Amino acid sequence: MKLFMSGLRKLARRLATWLTFALLAGLLVLIIVAVGATSDRPGRSGAERAAAISLVTFPGAYDQILAFILGLGGLFAVIYGAAIAGSEWTWGTLKNAVARGQSRSYYTLITFASIAFVIALGLVLTFAVGVVAALIGANLAGISTTGLTDSSTLGRLPEQFLRGGIAIVMEGAIGFAIAMLARSQLAGIAAGIGLYFATTFAALLLPDVVKYLPFSVARAAVATGATSGPGLGGGGFQAASLDANTALVLVVAWLVGALAVAALFTERAEISG
Amino acid sequence: MTETDGLAVATRGLRKSYGSHLALAGLDLSVPRGTVYGFLGPNGAGKTTTMRLLTGLIQPDAGSIELLGKPFGRHDRRRLYDVGALIESPAFYPFLSGRQNLRELAANGAAVTPGRIEELLELTGLRDRARDKVSTYSLGMKQRLGIAAALLSDPTLLLLDEPANGLDPAGIVAMRETLRHLASIGKTVFVSSHLLAEMQQMAGIVGIVAAGRVVREGPIQELLNAEGIVRVRVALDQVAAAAAALAALGGPDAVSTSVAEPGWLSVRVTPDRMGDVNRVLGEAGIWATGLESGNDLEMLFLGLTGGEPVAQGEGTFFGMAGAGPSDGSTGTGVTS
Repeated sequence: MKLFMSGLRKLARRLATWLTFALLAGLLVLIIVAVGATSDRPGRSGAERAAAISLVTFPGAYDQILAFILGLGGLFAVIYGAAIAGSEWTWGTLKNAVARGQSRSYYTLITFASIAFVIALGLVLTFAVGVVAALIGANLAGISTTGLTDSSTLGRLPEQFLRGGIAIVMEGAIGFAIAMLARSQLAGIAAGIGLYFATTFAALLLPDVVKYLPFSVARAAVATGATSGPGLGGGGFQAASLDANTALVLVVAWLVGALAVAALFTERAEISG
Repeated sequence: MTETDGLAVATRGLRKSYGSHLALAGLDLSVPRGTVYGFLGPNGAGKTTTMRLLTGLIQPDAGSIELLGKPFGRHDRRRLYDVGALIESPAFYPFLSGRQNLRELAANGAAVTPGRIEELLELTGLRDRARDKVSTYSLGMKQRLGIAAALLSDPTLLLLDEPANGLDPAGIVAMRETLRHLASIGKTVFVSSHLLAEMQQMAGIVGIVAAGRVVREGPIQELLNAEGIVRVRVALDQVAAAAAALAALGGPDAVSTSVAEPGWLSVRVTPDRMGDVNRVLGEAGIWATGLESGNDLEMLFLGLTGGEPVAQGEGTFFGMAGAGPSDGSTGTGVTS
């Protein structure tokens, strides 16, 4: 617990934490409010307007917001996980912990546990920000917000959050593991981003393979029903996907696998510099 | 009783390679408890590799390590609870303050007593800047913080790799006094350094390492007495004749000429034979214009590691046989 709390304190004081959150929440607010403000722009067809206002129409907005966070937020989680893990090598702080007799694998796993906590907290906070933005957008667009308290949708939200939380934490673990293997912050971030976009493009060519890969199963595990199109920054690909429960099992498998690789590598690594 | 009883650090036949480069070639160290032990060696001799091995950052290819009388291997990390270390450059989170860095480091390993962090900030002269981010610290301040971090759990054994790096003269004096004090209360301080004059003042025992092996180890005074040298200066055109004459006194291997200080020769004989040196020169018709007896750690070091300081612009590198600078520099070594 001492080490976990230490990890949280470090993350709370870190610019990367607040920057990642601000960027994700800021983009979400910008898009939703802009949609609300321009929904009745002249020259739009009825279908275009319907698609646009769906972002600010409750209860559907809940799914749209979650899809956005799990899409673009997944990429941010990869970068965030890589940044934190890589800096332990780049700054040499892992060396300090090991030289004090700390277990390498324990340090690695607890460091990730604190990252996972922050990512999950970020998911909830960003969602809350998104809901407030959608309310503002709805008011700007002159749309009723009566769906805000739709009991059926609200009843589904806890499970969606749980699934989404595990999925986005797994994406953070992928970045974390890559940076641990690369022993570098920049290399970890670059490799994480590269993998994210490589998966996106590979989905066009090898959909039956890509559907088992981390970023695909993360999306499939949540299955909000919302299409995470490019306009919402939701990752933008619609590969063949698994059913939500199978995908969730694979999400957990990727999560455990990524952490096992990170811990084992750190346990055996020669630490210098 | 075993041969390693009473030792804080004992290594036997320690070997470590990085690819094809042999960093340690059977290192045998014996560091007694309650002393300041100076670990000396030229660049690339294996000092930092030894430090990494002693803190479990890397594993040896062969050989054994004992820390504080107990074997230390991959699965003995808790042995480090009694060890404090500063390895290479001090490493900290730049976005945290000095105080916060110590606090977060204390979450690892051995317990830290309440008030210890404040005590160490005071000891290292960092209290006034303890709230500032480490990214704003100078190299010397980071080094002070690194020493504070090494002392965090009041360790029995302290491993310090070049602790004087970046310290100002006052900081060096303070560090020396602190380390001496720690040894006086029974702690063992193992210090690697290039500052030979500083080590001569600070350390009671030294180990000199070259090309991955300990070439001499023991109390400084004993080593200096055993490795006595007499230095003599003659006219430049008489250096060769003087070298030949002095070879008769100590043997041909006992005489070396200095490239850095033209006209100076060193004769490896005990200081009480300085008169003999003068007499031999006189008999050869050579009049010494300078004569120095005794030895210092620098001369001992240079003699044992086969190097000699060579003036090269602003920098001076040790010309080493088989142990050139490891930092990519292009120092040209010249041995006499």
